[in-house]
Amino acid sequence: MMDDPHFGFIVAAYLAAFIVFVGLLLWIIFDYKAQKQLLAALEASGTRRRSEGDKR
Amino acid sequence: MNLAFANPGRFLAFIRYAIPWLAACGALIAALGFYAAFAYAPADYQQGETVRIMYIHVPSAWLSTACYGIMALSSIGTLVWRHPLADVSAKAIAPIGAAFTFLCLLTGSLWGKPMWGTWWVWDARLTSVLVLFLIYCGILALWNAYEDPARAGRSAAVMTLVGAINLPIVKFSVDWWNTLHQPASVFRMGGPTIDPSMLWPLLLVAIGITLLMVALHFAAMRNEILRRRVRTLGMLAATHEMKGIVE
Repeated sequence: MMDDPHFGFIVAAYLAAFIVFVGLLLWIIFDYKAQKQLLAALEASGTRRRSEGDKR
Repeated sequence: MNLAFANPGRFLAFIRYAIPWLAACGALIAALGFYAAFAYAPADYQQGETVRIMYIHVPSAWLSTACYGIMALSSIGTLVWRHPLADVSAKAIAPIGAAFTFLCLLTGSLWGKPMWGTWWVWDARLTSVLVLFLIYCGILALWNAYEDPARAGRSAAVMTLVGAINLPIVKFSVDWWNTLHQPASVFRMGGPTIDPSMLWPLLLVAIGITLLMVALHFAAMRNEILRRRVRTLGMLAATHEMKGIVE
């Protein structure tokens, strides 16, 4: 396959797919961590939703 | 089942177990599919090795419309039933669908250059998929245009349902118009025209990537639920501060 004249196009297609998929995955992971941190900071300050009972 | 998981807390408990299983099964099946695509599937008698691009291009194309279908169903859930998770689902799937549509356009272009002699042509299939990508971009912009997620959800739902008219155009564009893009060769009346030696690896990759897409969708929904909790708590904290200042 590597001696195929269009080998570069095949590699580029799979590389692009890898970058897009990993980018999506990393964005979701970092977003999750960011939201968890924000939530933890707010809860540490004593703020609770009404359903959980506001401690202030 | 619909009502059982209407509660975001219950849904979060469910996806905590579902995401790792979906991701593991999806990765395994996709890896098997790619292995079969490169080790067992033959080169095409006309396209040669370039046909290997099909194993990433076609699943991306299917998922670009499948994600929009999920977004349209979620939008109906938002507008008709006001299901608490419907607009969360619609918002979470939008960037995933946009990513698969972008990948479909990019890999199609990389396949088109060596096979058609051009990166791009304004035929009905390519143009309708580009329109699909632009609709995704518009919906993402709309989600970010509103401060209130409930208002954003309703506006995005209306736009999504209007944009859904493009889905049958994408699907049938190759039948309705004379296009450079080939007609359907898997999901068609009369069965697939593609050889089983190529079809099975393609289906394995498609199933694997679909499971990964569902795992990503659930993970993005979890993020959105957390983002809304952060927003609610932030507003509560601000209210308490205001009360403190007044008192």
